[in-house]
Amino acid sequence: MKIAAPAGGTWIKQWRRWAPVAVLVGLCILIGLFNSNFFGLSNLIRMLNTASIPLVICMGATFIILMGSIDLSAEGVIAICAVAASMLVANDFTGVAIGPLSVPAAIVIGGLIGLLNGYIHVKFRIPSFMTTLGMGFAGIGVATAILGGVMVRISDNEFRNYLSLGRFLDIPAAVYIAAIAVGVAWVIQERTRIGRWLYAIGTDEATARNAGIPVDRTRILIFGIAGTFYGLAGALSAAQIGRGHALISQDRLFAAITAVVVGGTALSGGVGSVLNSVIGVFIVIVLTNGMILMGIEPYVQKGVQGLLIIAAVALALDRSRLDVVK
Amino acid sequence: MAEMLTKNQTRRTVLKGAAGAAALGAVGLPFPMPAIAQETTWTLANSLRSVANPYHATFAKGGEDFAKSIGAKYEVLVTEGNSEKGIADIKALLQRSGGKLILNVDPNDSPDARVIVEEVKKAGGFVVTQWNKPADLHPWDFDPNYIAHMSFDGVPTAEAIANELFKAFGGEGGIVALGGILSNVPAIERKLGLDNAIAKTNGKVELLDFQPADWNEQKAFEITQAWLTRFGDKVKGVFAANDGMGMGALEALRQNGLAGKVPVVGIDGIDAAVAAIEAGEFAGTVAWDPLWTGGMGLAIPYAHATGKIDITKEGHEHREFYGTGIIVTKESVADFKSNPSKIDFNDLWGKATGQIQYRG
Repeated sequence: MKIAAPAGGTWIKQWRRWAPVAVLVGLCILIGLFNSNFFGLSNLIRMLNTASIPLVICMGATFIILMGSIDLSAEGVIAICAVAASMLVANDFTGVAIGPLSVPAAIVIGGLIGLLNGYIHVKFRIPSFMTTLGMGFAGIGVATAILGGVMVRISDNEFRNYLSLGRFLDIPAAVYIAAIAVGVAWVIQERTRIGRWLYAIGTDEATARNAGIPVDRTRILIFGIAGTFYGLAGALSAAQIGRGHALISQDRLFAAITAVVVGGTALSGGVGSVLNSVIGVFIVIVLTNGMILMGIEPYVQKGVQGLLIIAAVALALDRSRLDVVK
Repeated sequence: MAEMLTKNQTRRTVLKGAAGAAALGAVGLPFPMPAIAQETTWTLANSLRSVANPYHATFAKGGEDFAKSIGAKYEVLVTEGNSEKGIADIKALLQRSGGKLILNVDPNDSPDARVIVEEVKKAGGFVVTQWNKPADLHPWDFDPNYIAHMSFDGVPTAEAIANELFKAFGGEGGIVALGGILSNVPAIERKLGLDNAIAKTNGKVELLDFQPADWNEQKAFEITQAWLTRFGDKVKGVFAANDGMGMGALEALRQNGLAGKVPVVGIDGIDAAVAAIEAGEFAGTVAWDPLWTGGMGLAIPYAHATGKIDITKEGHEHREFYGTGIIVTKESVADFKSNPSKIDFNDLWGKATGQIQYRG
């Protein structure tokens, strides 16, 4: 895991590095003590399945946050891509049925919207917060306008099987796809120039610019890459519930940003990793699953979630580098 | 072809509504709809949360159908869950129509109803409210402008659909239940109805767990997955306070090979739920008939405005009333689909089922 800690890390730095993992392990042990079913194979598979779509979304969101920006368009982009994917396979709304090609189509649509996000943000110098917020609303608006309030019902069972329902070694297809997405994100982060530039921009954009990094181009490209992950998440969402509609991604955005931050990626940029976000997603999923297994009152659940977010960030974030905390 | 046309027209309406909301939302101006034929000087409008959900899209369509039948101007105002915007749009439309407005509104939140009613009365228009209003706000206190309030009684409805669920698994065993946002009146009523149904089984049906999924399909999916771990095959049925959450639960069951084996019930009567009933995966749903509420919420005030009735002389059961929820099950689904709701705009209270009760 890459946490941009200065060299010669003291034990506290080492601890910070592993804090999210410690939180996850601690949670698992705690829940397992209350309900031994938690560690059952079927529950682990269920949690993996629940985590698959958030994982894909978080891969995109992490890149943006590492860059020190924020992307609030995820829900809108996912909605458009889910609606597009469901309209491209056999369905009850359009006569089109291009089967498996609908997946790359959704990814391309997501990528294009992401590039547009990046272009507007960079070229017109509009903060990413506003650009992506607007794009997110526009996305849901377009998805609503296309459908006029109805839902697209998918009748292509192959599509649903290969993307979500089908199982290999008892593990649902969505989990494998999410694993591949994590792998791709990791390679982009670790093995490409874009990945290195990402950290440089997130840490100090002015220095990165002076060092000759094409900051603007990288920013636009990263927004595009994030969009492709949302596009994939859209196709997965449509396959998971067998329908496409404008509200398919409701509440996904906040959960994704929570997972990224709980995993130890700093909102200030430059610190964190896609692997941190994997841990973050599992912390959120294990907690939701665990609180139901433990029979915690619904009223209390949200409070516990809120406290955990603050605690996890307090444990994981290295604040010694921050001059001011805003 | 006829069906295509309606679909297209709805989509056009929605497009304009969405564009209007997006472009002009900030200034609080509603987007004007083209008049189909102007035979009346009254402007008709339905105000609702969002055309992204099937219930409100059909509600808007009901209003359009009535407006078309009398050749009136018709507009759809969308709050997008924002009370301020909802009220600002209504004020602007009152101004533009010079008070000659007939409004059928599903207030975003209960307190909004009072403000809306007062504004309409001041301008001299007529208003019908749906679902949400404070318990102490009554149409007869704002004669003649506040025509009526329409709602559906969640308690007996939820009780009836819960009984359908119990029947589907043999009347004995454990169930789990998904609720709506805890503070919403329909969520509270539907939970109460479920509790009543369970109490009447004398312990034969046990509520294993109740979780609010906030009307959200995805949350329902995750919660149901966790329930399967916690309770395993003790779960004999799933009660969902609306169809959206029911669909989320159904997909979680499907992931575990239990779709069709563990019955689910929902409320609202969305297409997907009706299809799931046909497939034997849902044990039932309740259809609200938003086409009727969308149209009648305009037809009743129009009848008063044109002198066909005098609303101030009608009894309370015609001013605050429940509509009819239709229980759809495996047995009745074919009939439900082949006989889509026919609406006679002259039969003003034909589908009303009693005066609204206030539970303390």
